[in-house]
Amino acid sequence: MAELIKLTIDGHDVAVPRGTTILEAAKTIGAEVPHYCYHPGMSSPAMCRLCLVDVEGAPKPMPGCVTTVMEGQTVHTQSEKARKNRQGVLEFYLVNHPLDCPICDMSGECNLQDYVHDEGREQGRGREPKRVFGRDDFGGDVLFYGDRCVMCTRCVRFMSEVEQDHRLTVVERGDRSIIDTFFDEGLDGTNWHGNIVDICPVGALVSKDFLHKARAWDLEHTPSVCTSCSQGCNIDLHTRDNLVQRIKPRENLDVNAWWMCDHGRHNYEWMNHGDRIEAPLVREDSGSRAVDWKSSLSSILARAGELGNQPVKAVASPFSSNEDLGALAQLVGALGGGETTFRSSRAEAEVPLKGFPTLVRRRDLAPNRNGAELIGFKRVGNDDGFGGLDKVAEHDGILIVLGDALVDQTPDFGSKASLYIYLGTHDSPAARNAHLVLPVTTHAEHEGTFTNHEGRVQRFWPALQPPGMARPAWLVLGALVGELTERSGPRKATDAFSSLSGAVSAFGGITYDDIGTRGAVVNESVSLTGD
Amino acid sequence: MSDIPFKNPGWAGNTGEFDLTEEQVRGDDFVGVRPKHGGHASGAGTLPYMHADKHPDAKLFEGEYGERFDKILTRYPTKQAALLPALGLAQEIRGHVSPEAMDRVAELLDLSPAYVRGVATFYTMYNKRPVGRHLVQVCTNISCNLAGADEVVAAFLRYTDTEIGETSEDGNFTVIEAECLAACGFPTCVQINSRYFENVTPTEVPKICEHLKAQGE
Repeated sequence: MAELIKLTIDGHDVAVPRGTTILEAAKTIGAEVPHYCYHPGMSSPAMCRLCLVDVEGAPKPMPGCVTTVMEGQTVHTQSEKARKNRQGVLEFYLVNHPLDCPICDMSGECNLQDYVHDEGREQGRGREPKRVFGRDDFGGDVLFYGDRCVMCTRCVRFMSEVEQDHRLTVVERGDRSIIDTFFDEGLDGTNWHGNIVDICPVGALVSKDFLHKARAWDLEHTPSVCTSCSQGCNIDLHTRDNLVQRIKPRENLDVNAWWMCDHGRHNYEWMNHGDRIEAPLVREDSGSRAVDWKSSLSSILARAGELGNQPVKAVASPFSSNEDLGALAQLVGALGGGETTFRSSRAEAEVPLKGFPTLVRRRDLAPNRNGAELIGFKRVGNDDGFGGLDKVAEHDGILIVLGDALVDQTPDFGSKASLYIYLGTHDSPAARNAHLVLPVTTHAEHEGTFTNHEGRVQRFWPALQPPGMARPAWLVLGALVGELTERSGPRKATDAFSSLSGAVSAFGGITYDDIGTRGAVVNESVSLTGD
Repeated sequence: MSDIPFKNPGWAGNTGEFDLTEEQVRGDDFVGVRPKHGGHASGAGTLPYMHADKHPDAKLFEGEYGERFDKILTRYPTKQAALLPALGLAQEIRGHVSPEAMDRVAELLDLSPAYVRGVATFYTMYNKRPVGRHLVQVCTNISCNLAGADEVVAAFLRYTDTEIGETSEDGNFTVIEAECLAACGFPTCVQINSRYFENVTPTEVPKICEHLKAQGE
């Protein structure tokens, strides 16, 4: 621990390690110093001049983002001098800003809007015409509105310092400055450029995918975990009208800091996919018939009772939560035991973020491969996520498929099974020969946890209403386990997780409270094969 | 008498009373074009030098210009530091810094093309577009403006029949306004290619232009 420096900020005594900046020290007492160019994940050029604070004894206001604290210093962030200074700086920002908030995507979460609303002048004094740049397509997902830009250069620094691909630069000088790439080069081919839209403090860089789709104040934010690879980036699902509108990274310095990859960011449409299975379906000679949950579950129990202890084969998906997989493993155990497998696809190579080396788009393209392996599922099949189920297809005992759509399998997959249950979200090839098709929810619709590549268990929360009678798989499977073992099944996700942590030593002693929003690492070292 | 038909052809001191030519004042080394090898390494890359004859399609940094580029590199601790003189050299060869030239400079100096573009566009002395044989930069900053620089600009535009920044039809002239040329004692100052013309008045403008056309320099 570095030496502590004591100083006073806005009348509060603060003690922070030597080398802390005034802006960061002010954060510890909850005083936010307005800023644009400063971002905790990058260098500070101190060029936006908005974080200038009043330091007693200093001849001029000091930039809070680069001025380090000194013993006995007295800092005022809200004094007349500091506020007046910010008001002046903000007036300059508005000299050329188009104030097109009503048609700007950033409106509602824009720092310029917030700061001017808080501390700006009521009326602008500028009478000169504003200079006009129009907009520029940067390629990829990024659109640049030059007029709105405040020249904080966060995007330029993200590309050069964090992604380390110096594509963006400030072109021209003075009030003609704009952000641009090398003429038509654009951002195509970079894998992390979506982050520059997140860090843009104004509406200069906007996402084409989200363009004019929703207003910021209409969106519900639900903390979740990205399912596009085993990194498990912390995200927020932004939803409106029961649809995911966009994904934003959620800060977690242990996993993804403030960033996420473009692939994960745009891989959300599947959560909005219609055509869901909305009720349990029983296959009869004349076709499928929708039934209620109670009769579907009791028919499974009755059939399982008739069959006695037949060998069970279960195929799960690595997109299922730890709770789902734990409940499935327990069900297989309660039915007399058998073989539990899963298939998952692996990319050719990983895609690292050079400036934050622990953040990598991992080769495993599923969020819970490690969870599945810790719970005792065996990975089969090829790196494309197909194959490996020849014996399962011919199995003549009880067959349970959870989540895997089996698109590569022949039409007679599972036709020999004495009891074939498919738990899925959509009608798929896996449902063809299933005696019972049970509707389950996606991870966006229920609460649960994933275990990422390093064995970090991370929670996600329900963001969407599940369609029809769809229920979380852990609830359905847990109810069956409860009936078979004559105990009560889980009512809440936390029950399902505690029953998992009781059964699997890797999760032993971990509770939902421990995991919180930051995650908790499992007790066992996990295999990092190929990562 | 000097054979130069107007006063002050580009160096302070000649008020029309001397018979000395520019060569005699400055010495042979200083007159006309900079030697292609760039002279001594310590001066190999300083200001962007503008020739009347421009070769927009010339190969960059090859032959003697390649040697000069290497000479420039010896003056700096890192390749990145040689960016400004490298761009200056590209402009000397081609008359302007084209996107291809920026790309080539980026490649030679291990920089990203976007970074080179950022630097090249920051400095106004790099021409980002082709200019005429004679780039006429009229100072319109305060001293010159007080002495009537606006009329001088208007006279040049009238003579060349162009707007600011346009190249005349015969390809001879591009007229632009410049900020202070640091010759406030001799307003209005006009820099044409790499030479200063001082105390320029609107009536002299056609004379200067005719002279340049005739001389080609």
